[in-house]
Amino acid sequence: MGLRESLEEREMSVRAKVSAALLALLVSGGLAACGSDNDSASGSASGSGSSSAKSDAKPLKIGLIPPTSGALAVFGTDEMKGWQVAADQANAQGGVDGHKVELIKASTDGQPASTIRAARKLATQQGAKFIGAIMTSPEAAALAKQLPALGALNFNSTGKDDGLIGADCSPDAFRSVTGSAMDVNAIAASMSKLPAKTWAIQAVDYSTGHSAAAAFKAAAEKAGKKIVLTQYAPLNTSDFGSYISKLKSAKADGLFAVEYGADGVAFVNQGAQFKLFDQYKTVLGFNMVSEPLFKTLGKKVTGFYNNVGYDVDADNALNQTFVADYKKANGTDPYYVPADTYMAAQILFAAVKKAGSVDPQKVKAAMKDLSVPDLSGQNITIGPDGQAMRPSHVGQVVAKAGGPGGLGFKIVSTTPASVTHPSVSPDCKM
Amino acid sequence: MNFAQVLNGLALGALLMILSSGLALIYGLRGVMNFSHGALYMLGAYLAYEATSSGLSFWLALILAPLGLAVVGAMLELGFFRNLQQRSHIETGLVTFGIALVLNRLIIIVWGDDTHPVSAPKAIDGTTSVFGTAYPTYRLLIIGAAAVMAVALVLWLRNSRVGLHIRAASHDTETSGILGINVDRVSLIVVCLGAALAGLAGVLAAPYFSVSPGMGQSILITVLIVVVVGGIGSVGGAMIAALLLGLVQIMGNVWLPSVAVLVPYALLIAVLLWRPTGIAGKRV
Amino acid sequence: MSSTAPTVVTTTDDPAVAPPRGDGAPGRREGRVAVGLERRAVLRALAVAVVILVAGLFVPDLITSSYYMGVAADGVVLGIMAAGIGFLAHRSGLISLGHTAFYGGSAYGVAIFTTHWGWSPTTAAVVAVIGGTLLAVAIGSLVIRITGFGFLMLTLAFGQALYALSTLTSLRDVTGAFDGISVVFSGESQKVAGLTQAQLGAPDTFWPLAWVCLVLVVLGLWLVGRSRFGVTLEAIRENEERARFSGYNTYLPRLGAFAISGFCASIAGVLFALKASYVSPDVLGFQLAGDSLVATIVGGFTILIGPVVGALLYIYAQGRFGDTGNLELYMGLALIVVVIFLPGGVVGFVTDRVVRLRARLWRGRKGAGS
Repeated sequence: MGLRESLEEREMSVRAKVSAALLALLVSGGLAACGSDNDSASGSASGSGSSSAKSDAKPLKIGLIPPTSGALAVFGTDEMKGWQVAADQANAQGGVDGHKVELIKASTDGQPASTIRAARKLATQQGAKFIGAIMTSPEAAALAKQLPALGALNFNSTGKDDGLIGADCSPDAFRSVTGSAMDVNAIAASMSKLPAKTWAIQAVDYSTGHSAAAAFKAAAEKAGKKIVLTQYAPLNTSDFGSYISKLKSAKADGLFAVEYGADGVAFVNQGAQFKLFDQYKTVLGFNMVSEPLFKTLGKKVTGFYNNVGYDVDADNALNQTFVADYKKANGTDPYYVPADTYMAAQILFAAVKKAGSVDPQKVKAAMKDLSVPDLSGQNITIGPDGQAMRPSHVGQVVAKAGGPGGLGFKIVSTTPASVTHPSVSPDCKM
Repeated sequence: MNFAQVLNGLALGALLMILSSGLALIYGLRGVMNFSHGALYMLGAYLAYEATSSGLSFWLALILAPLGLAVVGAMLELGFFRNLQQRSHIETGLVTFGIALVLNRLIIIVWGDDTHPVSAPKAIDGTTSVFGTAYPTYRLLIIGAAAVMAVALVLWLRNSRVGLHIRAASHDTETSGILGINVDRVSLIVVCLGAALAGLAGVLAAPYFSVSPGMGQSILITVLIVVVVGGIGSVGGAMIAALLLGLVQIMGNVWLPSVAVLVPYALLIAVLLWRPTGIAGKRV
Repeated sequence: MSSTAPTVVTTTDDPAVAPPRGDGAPGRREGRVAVGLERRAVLRALAVAVVILVAGLFVPDLITSSYYMGVAADGVVLGIMAAGIGFLAHRSGLISLGHTAFYGGSAYGVAIFTTHWGWSPTTAAVVAVIGGTLLAVAIGSLVIRITGFGFLMLTLAFGQALYALSTLTSLRDVTGAFDGISVVFSGESQKVAGLTQAQLGAPDTFWPLAWVCLVLVVLGLWLVGRSRFGVTLEAIRENEERARFSGYNTYLPRLGAFAISGFCASIAGVLFALKASYVSPDVLGFQLAGDSLVATIVGGFTILIGPVVGALLYIYAQGRFGDTGNLELYMGLALIVVVIFLPGGVVGFVTDRVVRLRARLWRGRKGAGS
C-alpha cells in the first residue's frame, strides 16, 4: 500500500466515523423534533376546554392494555367489553361527575416489557393516568414499579396472585378481583362437601398458578386431605399429553386444575381424549371452567366444580342493569372477567366522585374508606392493601337451559371477604 | 414406565420427523439452513384451521395444504435461493430469517392473534385402547402418517432416478453438474418437497397443538437442533434424531423435568463440538 | 466446520479465484482496512469522542417528551449490546445469536445479587459485568473454534439453554422462573453512579449514565479494532489457515474478540436491570436474540456506529409499530433488503454515499491534469 493510498484510507475512515457520528446525533435530533412536536400537540388538545361550567371538567382518560395474542387474548377482549359498558353507562349520564370517560387502548403480547412500554406511552403521551385491563400478575407487578414515575394508578381486574397484595403491593395499584388465597379460603369452607380424599394439582407455571396451588395445598391438608402430585405447565402450553399421562398414573381421586384461557380448553379437551376425568370423584377448576369456555368444552365439564367470581343471576338493581346493558352491547351474558372489570371501573368512578377530581393523587387518597356498591348486592370497601373486599363463591357446572353450551353454574357456597381476607399480608410494606 | 408416555414421545418425534426431513433435504442440497421452515409449518397449520372452520374436510386439507406449501417453496427457490447462490450460506440463512418474520406476520394479519383449537375429524377424534391404556386416536394417526412418510421418502430417495440425482447433488453439486444433472431443477424439486413436508407437519399438528401465533417460532429451534444433530443434510439422520429427541424430551419430563428441557441443547452442543457431522455423517 | 460443510459451486476458499470471504462474513465491505494506532489518529478520535460525549449530555434538554426520552435511553442500552455483536461480526466474521446469554445473564446477576443476596447495587452491577464477561470467556472457549453456521447454532444453543434454566420451576426461588425478579436495591449505599433507583428508572436522569457507557464502549471498540489485535482478527477472518501458517495463534485472538463483545452485552444487561427494576426470562429469549441481531445487521456493522443506529431505529420502530404488531413485518423486510442489496447496512450505505460524493467533489476541484 503506497503512502498516498494509506493517507486516503485514513481520511476515509475518519470521515466515515464522523459522518456516522453525525448521523447518530441526527437521529436523536430527529427524535427530539418528534418529541417536542408531539408534546405541544397533546398540550394544546387538553388546553382547549368549552364554556359551560360542567363540561369544563377534564375528561377521565383511562388507558387499557389487554393482551391481544396468546392463550389469554379472549379474556383481553372481554375485559375491554366490561370497561366499555361502564364507560357508556357513565357517559350516558354526562360523565363521572361531569368528567367524560375516554377509553384509550394499547395492545401488548403479555410480556412485562411490552406492557410497560405501552403504559409509558399511554401515561406520558396521551395523558391517560388510570391504567386498566392488564391481564397477568407478572405484568401488574412489573408495572407497579413504574407507577410512581408515571404518576399513574393501576386498576387490576384479573391478576389474582397473592404477591400483588403481599410483597409486590403498591399504594398506586387497586384490585377488584378476589385474590387466589381469598378464593381458596372460600373453597376450604366447602372442602368437606367435596368427596375426594387424595388430590393432584395441575397448575399454570407462573405466580398465580403457584399461589393458588400453595393456598389449596394448605387448605386441603388442614381438612385432612392428601396431595399426591403437583405439576406446573408453562402458559401457552398446547400439548398436555405428558402432564395428563402423569396425572393418570398418580391415581388421585380429586383434581385441582389451574389452567387459564386457551390452555384450559386444551387441557380439558385433551384430558377427555385420554379419558383422564373418568378417574376423579371431584374435578375442581380454578378460573379454568367458565362460561365462555362452556361452548367449546361442552358436556365434558358437567359436574366440575370451579370458583365462581360472579353470580350472573344475582338479584339486585345494579347487577340487573349491568347484565341488561352488557347483553344489549355484546349479545351474551357477562361472566366473571367483564364483571370484575366493570367493578374496577365502578371503584375508579366512585373514587373520582369522592375526590371531586381526576387528579390521580387525589383519587388515590379518596380510596381510603371508600364504599362502593357491588354486583353481589352489598356495599364493599377497599382494603389498605388496595384489595376490594368482595365475596367469593364456589359453583358446580349443571345443565342450564339457555346458557352457553346449555350449561350454567349452580352456586354451592358464598363466603364474604371478612372471612376470606381478614387481614393485610405482613409482607406488604407500603 | 407408562406406555402412554412412550406413545407421547413417539407422537412428538413423529411430527418432528416430518418437519425435519424437509429441512434436512433443503440443507443438504442448498447448504442453506432455511430459518423460515417454522413459518412454513405454521402456514400449513393455519390452512388446516381455515379448511376445517370453513367446513372442508380435514382429509382434504391434508392433501391441499402441502400442495399450497409446495407452491410457496417454489417461490422461495425461484425468488431467493437461486439468486443468492453466489452469497455465503449465512447471508442466505439471514434472508430466510427475514422471510420467516414477514411470513409469520402475514399469517397473523390474515387469521388474527388468537389461539384456535382445531378438531380432528370425528372418526379419529376419540380414544383407542392401546395395551390397556386409553390413548387419543388422533396421535396414533400422527405416528402412523410419519412412519408411512418416512418409509416412502427413504425408498424414493434410494431407488428412484430423481432420488439419485438429489443424493448426488447433495453430495457434490459441482461434480453432479458436470455429470449432466440439472442441479437447478433438482433444487426446485427438493425445496418444493421440503416445504410440502413442512406443510404436512403443520396440518397434522393443528389438532394436536392448536394453531397459535407463536407456533412457528417455538418449533423452529427444536427442528434446527434435530437437523444438526442428525447430520448435515442427512434425511435418515434427521429422522432418527427427531424420534430420539421426541422420546428423550417427553420421557425426560417424567423422570427429571428439571434437566429434560436442557437436553436438546446439550445434545446440540455435544454434537457440534465433538462430532460435527452428526449422527449419520455425510450419508444421505 | 468449513472443512465439513458441503461445497457449493461458486464460493471457494481458493484465494486465486475470488477474494477470500472466510466462512460467511456478510456485509464485508471491499477495500482495505484502516489500521494503526498512531498518536495523531488516536488523539483525533479522543477529541471527537469528548465532543460527542459532551454534546450528548444535552439530549434530555432537547427531547422534551418523556416518551421519546425513554425511547432514546432504551435505544442506547440496546445499542451497546448491538455494538458488541457488530464488533464480533465485523472483525471476526462470526454471527452470534447467543449474546442474550451475557445480556440477560448479567441482568439476572444484578437482580439476584442485590435483591436476594443483599449486595449494594453498585457492587452487584460491577460483579455482574465481570460475571457476564467470564461467562463469555467460558462459552467462547468452547465455541470459538467453529465458524459460520455451526457457530451460529452453538451460540443459539447456549443462549436458549440459559433461557431454559431461567424458567425452571426448580430454580424458582433464585430466578423467579417465569415471573422473573423484581429488583430491590439493598445494602448501605443504594445508589449507582450517584443515582437512586427512582432516578435510574426515569429516562431523563438515567440518560447520562447510559450515554457515557455508550461513548466509552464505542471508543474502546474503535481503539481495539485499530490495534494490532484488531488487525490480527481481520487476518484470521480472511483466511484462518493462512494466518495460522503465518505463525499467529488463531484461537486466543478470536476468544478475546468474543470476550470483548460479551463484555459489551454484559454492560448493556446491567444497565437494563438498573433501569427497568424488573428482570424476566424474555431478556434471555430467542426473540431478543433475533431482534438484536437484526438491528445490528440493518444498522450495518462495517462501521462501529452502525449497530447503535440500528438499535435506535429498532426501538423507535418498536414504539411506533409495536402496537399494530407490524414491527416484525418491517424488520423482516428491512433484513431481507439490507442483506441482499445493502451490505454494510443502512449506515454503511449512507456513509458510502457521503464518502463517494466528497471524493467526487474533491477530485473535481483538483481539476484536469492529474
